[in-house]
Amino acid sequence: MLPHSAGGYGVSNFKRTALMLTLPASIVAISLYAAPIAQVLALSVTEPTIGWSNYQRLFANPAVGRVVMTTLKVSATTTVLTVLASYIVAFELIHLSARLRRVALFLVLVPFWISVLVRAFSWITILRRQGILNSALIKTGIVSTPLELVYNLLGVTIGMVHYMIPFATLLLYANLSDIDRRIMQAARSLGASPAIVFYRVWLPLSLPGIALSTLFVFVFSLGFLVTPALLGAGKVLMLAEYVSIQISNTSRWDLATSLSTALLLVVGALVFVAMRSSALRAVFTAKPQP
Amino acid sequence: MTASHFAQDAGQIAAERLTRGEIDRRSFLAAVGALGLGMGFEPDAHSAEAAEIVVCNWGGVAVSAFSKAYGEPFTHKSGIKVVVVGTGPAVGTIRAMVESGKVIWDTTDGGMIDSLTLSKNGLVQPIDYTIVDKSQVPDAFAGKYGVANYVFSNVLAYDSEATRGIAPESWTDFFDLQRFPGKRTMCKWIQGQLEFVLLADGVAPAGLYPLDVDRAFKKLAPMLPHIIFWDGGAQSQQLFREGEVVMGNIWHTRANLLNKEAPRFKWTWSQNLLFASAWSVPKGNPAGKKVFDFINSTLDPACQLTLFRLMGNGPSNPKTLELMSSQDAAVNPTSADNARTHIAVNPAYYAEHETELQNRYLDFISR
Repeated sequence: MLPHSAGGYGVSNFKRTALMLTLPASIVAISLYAAPIAQVLALSVTEPTIGWSNYQRLFANPAVGRVVMTTLKVSATTTVLTVLASYIVAFELIHLSARLRRVALFLVLVPFWISVLVRAFSWITILRRQGILNSALIKTGIVSTPLELVYNLLGVTIGMVHYMIPFATLLLYANLSDIDRRIMQAARSLGASPAIVFYRVWLPLSLPGIALSTLFVFVFSLGFLVTPALLGAGKVLMLAEYVSIQISNTSRWDLATSLSTALLLVVGALVFVAMRSSALRAVFTAKPQP
Repeated sequence: MTASHFAQDAGQIAAERLTRGEIDRRSFLAAVGALGLGMGFEPDAHSAEAAEIVVCNWGGVAVSAFSKAYGEPFTHKSGIKVVVVGTGPAVGTIRAMVESGKVIWDTTDGGMIDSLTLSKNGLVQPIDYTIVDKSQVPDAFAGKYGVANYVFSNVLAYDSEATRGIAPESWTDFFDLQRFPGKRTMCKWIQGQLEFVLLADGVAPAGLYPLDVDRAFKKLAPMLPHIIFWDGGAQSQQLFREGEVVMGNIWHTRANLLNKEAPRFKWTWSQNLLFASAWSVPKGNPAGKKVFDFINSTLDPACQLTLFRLMGNGPSNPKTLELMSSQDAAVNPTSADNARTHIAVNPAYYAEHETELQNRYLDFISR
């Protein structure tokens, strides 16, 4: 490694030194992260016997198939609803005055800071048979018997969408605020109605944000544990809860590790394929407008 | 794994009782101060000379309850310190410990079923009955790899206001939507869940095991939309309290708490399903044979009475009954009246089939 030298070579030397200094910490952090994952991968092909039998049995197991289908279904629904709602919120956010926007952003962020457990229990309090929502509905006479809003798929979806909206909103907001407003003015000056401006200009330009938030929310939902476990009460069995039970309760480490590894590989493949789309690549190469 | 969940739950109960001032605050504070990982460990714990016994249970105030009921008397008698750790002796954790050779617990409060499951995987040592006096507990409670420290039951609890004063008398009433409209609750964890379904379907207690799972699922299927599954004891209590359910299959300790909260919540001891929790000793435990002295001391009636009064767990030693008041006896699973129609759950069956059953059950209820 070259010692510090004055002049033109100074910057890259500094960068190199800085990089070297961060290496020990990075190696420790990455290995502490990678080692357990490697152990899970190893277990999936060694427990109880060496070979690919765990994966073969995984694909032949109808119960696992059902868990996977439920997970996909719930994640897809959550993603669609979340991105829709978040787009509306983000779109409104960028059109607010600076002061109102600060308030609105704060309101979006507050649930972010509340623990997922507290939020799940709060939803139970709101949605249960004698909860806030049902009591209001019955008192005002809109319904005569309580609606079943929780401990089922509906409750889980509500809880998950609520949890994901801040993430998607912030991602979309970041993307939308980068779009140059002058393009809209140009469109208007060319005679486009507001609706056309939205569908033909805003939406295509916000595709990178939509793509990113869709991918993020979907991948995140696939691995969700707490919200579906609490709000579903056994009726909505998703992957993460299933794996957790196999590790701790039934000691089926073969099933747990092979399923986790499969999930990891699928998500990895999904991200890899998604990153090849032009929309997503635009997210990472877009330059902010002056 | 019900015994493990139960033990964890019993700790939570004691915590709630503390907040209502029913438990000595000092012992609770000692436990609270030590809540979290590695609680109760002194700096020299790792030198692991038989200067102390490390007991692992499911945490919360079970830590202080076990310290008070089991730890103090033993330390007083033998001078050996007892450290109670609340990390939770899950089968997976014990397996990881024994397989890596770094065992830090001397004995674990896991349940008779767990002791058998662990023994099948070669993770526990046999109980040394030359040190532990077997005669203190009934034969069924003195297994090769686990000796029962306390018992608990799954009972049929109900909200007498919601059932308009009619008292359900047996598990068949659980399925009677005409006379008892409303939702029910049962546990997400398999132990003690299919037995009552089969009993309601007409199977005689003697012919319960091996469980006819298909028959149970068939009987349960039409009820599924009306059932909310509880995951933990506090949740089972909450469901009743909130008026979500009209009756359910819950632990007797929780039913007792509900009744103390509001007399409208009652339960019947008829056909209750009796479980035994148990001490197991992982292979390669640090204190070696000394742990069996400790285990022996926990079978003493005075210890078991203390624990019963703190957490509601029934004693495994029948002599404890003589020390109980009539109020105590009314809420104890092993009292003569309450035990009349009980069905003892078969640990060997579960040790063999629990994994497969649990997964089948989860799959069934989520369809």
